[in-house]
Amino acid sequence: MINTVLVANRGEIACRILRACSEAGLTSIAIYAENDAGSLFTELATVAVPLEGETIAETYLNQQQILAIAAEHGVDAIHPGFGFLSERADFAQAVIDAGINWIGPSPYAIEMMGDKMTARMTMKAAGVPVIPGEEIESEDEAGMISAIVEASERVGYPLLLKASSGGGGKGMRKVEDSANLEEAIKGARREAIAAFGDGRVYVERLLTGSKHVEIQVLGDTHGRTIHLGERECSVQRRHQKVFEEAPCPVMTDGLRARMGEAAVMAAQAVDYVGAGTVEFLLASNGEFFFLEMNTRIQVEHPVTEMVTGVDLVREQLRIAAGQPMSCGDLMMRGHSIEVRLYAEDATNNFLPAIGPLAVFRAPTGPGIRLDTGVREGDMVTPNYDPMLAKLIVWAPSRVEALERMRRALDEFVVLGTTTNIRFLRELCDNRDVVSGRTDTTLIDRFWPNGWAPTYSDLSLDAALMVAAVSESAGLHRTQVSKTESSNGPISPFQTLNRRYP
Amino acid sequence: MMHEFKVNSEMVEVTVAKDGQDWLLGDYKAQVLDDGRIMVQSRDGRSKIAHSAKVGDVWWVHIDGHIFCIEKTEAGSADGDSDGGMTAPMPGKILEVKVANGQSVTAGELLLVMEAMKMEHRIVAPSDGVITMVNFSTGDQVQQGDILVEMGE
Repeated sequence: MINTVLVANRGEIACRILRACSEAGLTSIAIYAENDAGSLFTELATVAVPLEGETIAETYLNQQQILAIAAEHGVDAIHPGFGFLSERADFAQAVIDAGINWIGPSPYAIEMMGDKMTARMTMKAAGVPVIPGEEIESEDEAGMISAIVEASERVGYPLLLKASSGGGGKGMRKVEDSANLEEAIKGARREAIAAFGDGRVYVERLLTGSKHVEIQVLGDTHGRTIHLGERECSVQRRHQKVFEEAPCPVMTDGLRARMGEAAVMAAQAVDYVGAGTVEFLLASNGEFFFLEMNTRIQVEHPVTEMVTGVDLVREQLRIAAGQPMSCGDLMMRGHSIEVRLYAEDATNNFLPAIGPLAVFRAPTGPGIRLDTGVREGDMVTPNYDPMLAKLIVWAPSRVEALERMRRALDEFVVLGTTTNIRFLRELCDNRDVVSGRTDTTLIDRFWPNGWAPTYSDLSLDAALMVAAVSESAGLHRTQVSKTESSNGPISPFQTLNRRYP
Repeated sequence: MMHEFKVNSEMVEVTVAKDGQDWLLGDYKAQVLDDGRIMVQSRDGRSKIAHSAKVGDVWWVHIDGHIFCIEKTEAGSADGDSDGGMTAPMPGKILEVKVANGQSVTAGELLLVMEAMKMEHRIVAPSDGVITMVNFSTGDQVQQGDILVEMGE
């Protein structure tokens, strides 16, 4: 039984989970750092508890403080969301030791999948195909270099060096030929030690032009492990996904069955419980290889929800409470696309942007879903990740889903802070996106020198007129007075008088 | 009315005329709706709704799915760092507050000094008047577009 859930996260994913708690009739506790006071997610919780401290380490990553709040409020389950503490086996263990349900897989599963070399070996043993490559046992520099040089003959070029504790591209090196290998090994090792305190590096063949396809899995404590089909997330900038869809445009029933079976084997190999994602690279010849497993709910989970009709967060809550999952056999219907709305300047190497959300009007209408952490009037600050919201559409076919996404992005009005909305909109017209020939190099291929918006002079003329009319009509003064009234004189309704007839 | 704007690093002069409820410019006609949005009509009768918001000196305009940042530049004003409005030009920190609530000031008088992007910005009174509100004090962090000081006649 679960009654009270603490959500150890913020922003968009905290909103998603808190709303699920509300729908499930559960009491929910939000925790927030001072610079998040008044944020949307704090309003969606039954109780919002301020965190002490200023840095992320002192607040959202502060295990002791979070556990103390949980104890004080009688919390019986903690949902970590994604990022922050979601893939920290030590935190999962501490939660369990405190007698609280951990909404996620066991600390053992997190650990096995968190170390990439261990995950590779576990997958190989379970019969899941991995990228051609070799684990490297040596930890000292000289031994590592000779082992990798030897392995490189068998793996072949181009190859990729990866840090075993790696993530976010750190400790990763692309090597085109043997001349640069030794230097690259030293560099990757140095970076991995600095970033993760762990210099172990292994080697994999670099598979260019492949698709990033991942399988959603779900396991419960009643012995059932299933997959919920795939998502394709090939379109990425700076190793971060921006455009995700389900189903994958080149998927066939046979391939889905094989990849799904491999993903379920991967999950079962670590006795996986809860929602997880097994990531694969899908080569153009239909071969697929295990990349890594994410032991948490994922940013792009909504596209799976849209095509399968399964509420993944509700299933997480059910599974953590010891109930069997409620979904039946896999059924996929129609097509769903998600785009990530970032506060960033797509014309300037996707540099994060800040500012006020002076206007924030999201699109509405059939087949549209907005998972947002912000609303009009909020400030975008440099304190956290610049992802503001996710816009998700569903339509009967991929063609119609793209049409719907174009319409939705045209309707989406965000003023006061630079966002990637227009970039996403033009992405929907990109010929490889339209044809489904998306791969992980798409953005670099089409915009090697950066992106700039295309528009007609007519649009610019109309915009200039709008600015002139706005200025002439004094619209900024009415906008200012709107701000004034919000911190203005104290409301006369500060007492409540109720008369009973 | 004539306005000077800067858009895509280009200076543009825009003159709009008013005719009853309509604003006119070339082939375009525009009306301000009750909620502050603007309906723009071209001569062929097609109309579209635009959104606008001013942050600092910049008008953000959304029309046709495009967003434009159009900076209002004062006609004939010196460029320079002391002509600021009374809003924060960018995120930063208040270094010094020179005025208090109720104080009379003359045009050009220094009201406040802030630091942003490692540079000092002086916020001065645009006209003679009385300070009606000082919204921040020394050491406060401010965001771009925050109203720093408010003035009355």
